[in-house]
Amino acid sequence: MIRVIFFAGLASLMVALAVPPDATAATVIMGTVKNEAGKPLPGLALLEKGEIHNNVWDRGTLVGADGRFRIELPTGGQYGLHVYSSGYIYSPEAVKVETGKTLEVKVVLDPGPIRGNTPVIKKAGFFPWEARQGKVTFVKVDVEDPNGDLGPQVLALNAATGRAYAMNPPKRITDLKANFPNGIYQLEVDTSKGPINPRDWHFVVADHQCNTTDILSFPHDPKPLKVIKVTK
Amino acid sequence: MSRRLPPLLIGFAVACHVWPGPTCVRQAAAQTGLQALVVEGERLWTQSPDAGNPVACATCHRDPAMTRGWAASFPKFKPLPPPHARVMTLLQANAEAVERHYRLADPLPAAIAITAFLTAQAAGVPISPGVSAGQPVFAARMQALAASVLRGKHLYAGRCGHCHKSFDLAPSATAFPRAEGGRPMSLELFLEGHRPLQPPLAWDGQATADIMAYLMSQAAGRPIGHHTYRASTEGKEGS
Repeated sequence: MIRVIFFAGLASLMVALAVPPDATAATVIMGTVKNEAGKPLPGLALLEKGEIHNNVWDRGTLVGADGRFRIELPTGGQYGLHVYSSGYIYSPEAVKVETGKTLEVKVVLDPGPIRGNTPVIKKAGFFPWEARQGKVTFVKVDVEDPNGDLGPQVLALNAATGRAYAMNPPKRITDLKANFPNGIYQLEVDTSKGPINPRDWHFVVADHQCNTTDILSFPHDPKPLKVIKVTK
Repeated sequence: MSRRLPPLLIGFAVACHVWPGPTCVRQAAAQTGLQALVVEGERLWTQSPDAGNPVACATCHRDPAMTRGWAASFPKFKPLPPPHARVMTLLQANAEAVERHYRLADPLPAAIAITAFLTAQAAGVPISPGVSAGQPVFAARMQALAASVLRGKHLYAGRCGHCHKSFDLAPSATAFPRAEGGRPMSLELFLEGHRPLQPPLAWDGQATADIMAYLMSQAAGRPIGHHTYRASTEGKEGS
């Protein structure tokens, strides 16, 4: 009898060890975005998968008016979290998320001191590829940086799918520290399962010096750059 | 901003006050020069030299509690955009950032001053290469650092080991940047000019970062601060 109880206990222990208690729990990164005065800021939270600044963009989400965001991940690991809000310099942070756990971060953004060097998204548009009508749509933005030091962060978020993208520059550039050209950046989006909805798309650009555009959302009409007055 | 002076400096200052001698005068001059360098570094940290481009280091890294541990965590893997990501010294990382953000033709003087400021800010913080307090530790970055330390060990044995025992020398490596003859001197520049009979090291090169990664691995756990060291052969080589 004692032997039966012992082996039953051992079997239960092995089962318990084999299946982590949080195996079904979601892997999540969530957080709050505020300015130094504690005011919640809306915007975008975008993730690079792997080492930060590797330009492998993965997922993203909108940051609400309450300054909160939540991104569910397929797996834990290393990510580069980038947070953007109009009028503020973006914040990059390398984070490590454990599978089945929630990582909470607090992001504080600083206003862009002047906007004279800030890149501008002059226009955005959605163009079905005529040769592959209904199957592929080009998403395009026209970007200009006054001081000519654009980097790879010409980014798009499809908020409906939660996918973040680095848009392709007008010419191929392999050195990510090189200055990227002004001009038309584009994405090729698979629209075979349904048409693109421009309302889902949001754009933001940051140059090598961290100067960050305002976020361009539907109807994608550029407005004068937002200037945040610093009150201390 | 308040800064704690290393105990050795305080003891030295007291001794010099009681019995000032030529060494004290030189030390005082060096300290004055170092202090000026730290002040210049703080100015460059908080204020861009280009009024038209006012994003400064402190615009984003404004919390001294966050930046205090930085100097103690170098050399470490800097995740620059590919293919530039590599193990770097604090000076090398600062020079890269100064070049990118401030667009100075010669980023080195500003980078040395900022390095002096961050090193002064870190006085007393235990050396912990690759690890910053409050920051996550990434296995791939630590592996890159371990590889750098190994390369540095071999380089050190070939270039430095004849005269300097690494364990004895390592704490002195934290005495940089310093003022020498009124001029700022970083360890990277010192290594560049040391042992001229050997192939030169570039201050911004990987080999320099590797040697410093090895030295700092020998000094792990010791506090950042100013230490004195005399090589067993000092004066024989004139270097």
